[in-house]
Amino acid sequence: MSEVDLAGPGLWTTSVGSFPKPDYLTKARGQRARGEIEREELQELERKATREWIEFQESIGTDLVVDGEMYRGDMVAYFAEELPGLEIGGLVRSYGNRYYRKPIAVGAIGRDRPITVEWWKYAQSLTDAPVKGMLTGPYTICDWSFNEHYATRRDFVLDLAKVIRDEALDLEKAGARYIQIDEPAASTRMDELDLVIEAMAIVTEPLSAHTITHICYGDFHNAYPKMLDIPVDQIDLEFANSDYSLLDEFGDNPFTKYVGLGISDVHSHALEPVDDMVDGIRRALKYIPADRIFVDPDCGLKTRTVDEAKQKLSNIKAAVDIVRGEL
Amino acid sequence: MPIQTTVVGSYPKPPEEGQIFRVRKTIQGLDKGAASLEDLRAAQDELARSVIAEQEQAGIDVLTDGHVRWDDILTPFARTMRGFEIGGLLRWFDNNVYYRRPICVADLEWGGPSSVDAFKFARAATSRAVKAVIPGPVTFARLSVDEHYGDHDAFVKAIARVLAQEAFELEAAGARFIQIDEPALLNAPEDLSLAADALRTVTAELGEAELTLATYFGDAKRLGAELFDLPVHRVALDLVAGPENRELISSIPSDKKLQAGIVDARNTKLEEAELLQRTIEDLASEVGPERLSVAPSSGLEFLPREKARAKLERLCAAAQKVGG
Repeated sequence: MSEVDLAGPGLWTTSVGSFPKPDYLTKARGQRARGEIEREELQELERKATREWIEFQESIGTDLVVDGEMYRGDMVAYFAEELPGLEIGGLVRSYGNRYYRKPIAVGAIGRDRPITVEWWKYAQSLTDAPVKGMLTGPYTICDWSFNEHYATRRDFVLDLAKVIRDEALDLEKAGARYIQIDEPAASTRMDELDLVIEAMAIVTEPLSAHTITHICYGDFHNAYPKMLDIPVDQIDLEFANSDYSLLDEFGDNPFTKYVGLGISDVHSHALEPVDDMVDGIRRALKYIPADRIFVDPDCGLKTRTVDEAKQKLSNIKAAVDIVRGEL
Repeated sequence: MPIQTTVVGSYPKPPEEGQIFRVRKTIQGLDKGAASLEDLRAAQDELARSVIAEQEQAGIDVLTDGHVRWDDILTPFARTMRGFEIGGLLRWFDNNVYYRRPICVADLEWGGPSSVDAFKFARAATSRAVKAVIPGPVTFARLSVDEHYGDHDAFVKAIARVLAQEAFELEAAGARFIQIDEPALLNAPEDLSLAADALRTVTAELGEAELTLATYFGDAKRLGAELFDLPVHRVALDLVAGPENRELISSIPSDKKLQAGIVDARNTKLEEAELLQRTIEDLASEVGPERLSVAPSSGLEFLPREKARAKLERLCAAAQKVGG
């Protein structure tokens, strides 16, 4: 268990990972995809957008900063593009009018070189606040890919776990004190929760950083409390979009880890009033002490507009400030 | 004797690589105020036609419009019924696909047809048989939130009464094949007799249409052979996600037909032609070719367009070899 080294009484603010890309970057990504601009030109804009998001987070006093993933498209495809053994497949729909390129395992998975470390170093060079290292977990990469190679899902997941462990170790070597390994798919199949745990153990066992996993859209009622066996220091969950009903589970089975408390629904254009967020934090404090709580949006904010995302983050900070004053 | 080929329902909306994805662009335009609902309708019409043509070319006998106008199987019905609101996103079974959860806030009432216009359009676009697909009442209830009835049985029955009107209108519009999707029943054996009652309600006013009860994403072993007592003509089983379903097939009574899901609608790996052929031969000899139709394991929307088409081509080629 790695404790938190941040100042203050708790209720530290952070984000789950992704932020919306500014229009100039979305446009440049399209141009790059059509071969109209060079890679360097796109990267310069990705750095610019990263700087802007870090500056924004600093301006509102965010405790644990993210780089906003300006250089990533989909959270699985980004890794699949870099990992030998995975290739990028065709478009499939995830919901509404949202589509992603679903990767395909076509051979044994390995890693030629670090994937996220240069971006992490760049983001950390821009701020004194700690920047989270952001990885997609082995179970989720498997679950969100097609499999034309491995005989079993377990073989597929465990090969991925070794690759993500190596990436996490490289992040730690570069100085990352907080490493998040997202497993949004972890709550998909209760009969595979053991596999999620087994794979996460491979990733986190050699790490000394504070480890976090984000899980969403799942069958929490069945996944809890077994979810607490996932070997990480913090589990980040969406509370706002289910009206904090997850908290009901914590009465019978206390939440034993740090929690990432999602208090803003990322799939809604509507901006939650600060009062609702304050109320949500107060409800959570009945179950978990402040110095075990990080406060953030429910999920990555990349599907919102830049303005919507900034307003949600500002409201979260305003709500936290109010409740901190009551501690 | 020919083996009937069919699909479970959904089909990928994206075009093949390199083509313009008109429906997606139009919805984006709609959000920005740069496109109209008529533009969207036109883009969806075009997509429905191409999806139907693709199924025809592959050799599918009983096809659907690919549900290309729907985001999921519940929302279009929940939107039309009175008494539902549309809630947040939730995972669609064990897929990386999300649906909006309907929330029941008042007595459910028929508010007009939900799927009939789309069915009529599809029917006019092909000379083949078009299957109408509606959600089953148990699945509908289990995937929704009930803030009104406070009683699962009452909620299911209320949904069934509204769906009965939909089924009636579909048959009146010419549907000879109606499929009722009950994937959630696989994990709810306690709802089996409730499902039977609800299905009797849904189908009470129907005439000659052939009714299929579709299950997918798993096996029916918790339901056992009682699944075949449900008041429908044909039962669809997913033999890919539920290989144990193979053992249930010997219990199908002689007055019931089988829709066997035998190509994996959720993985890109293409099935070997010879293996498919052997599977169809085995099934045909067990239930009789006249009682067998073969299909993908579930809706095909989980695959990229090219792969969905390739899967249907393999399925139809294998059925053709066995059935002549």
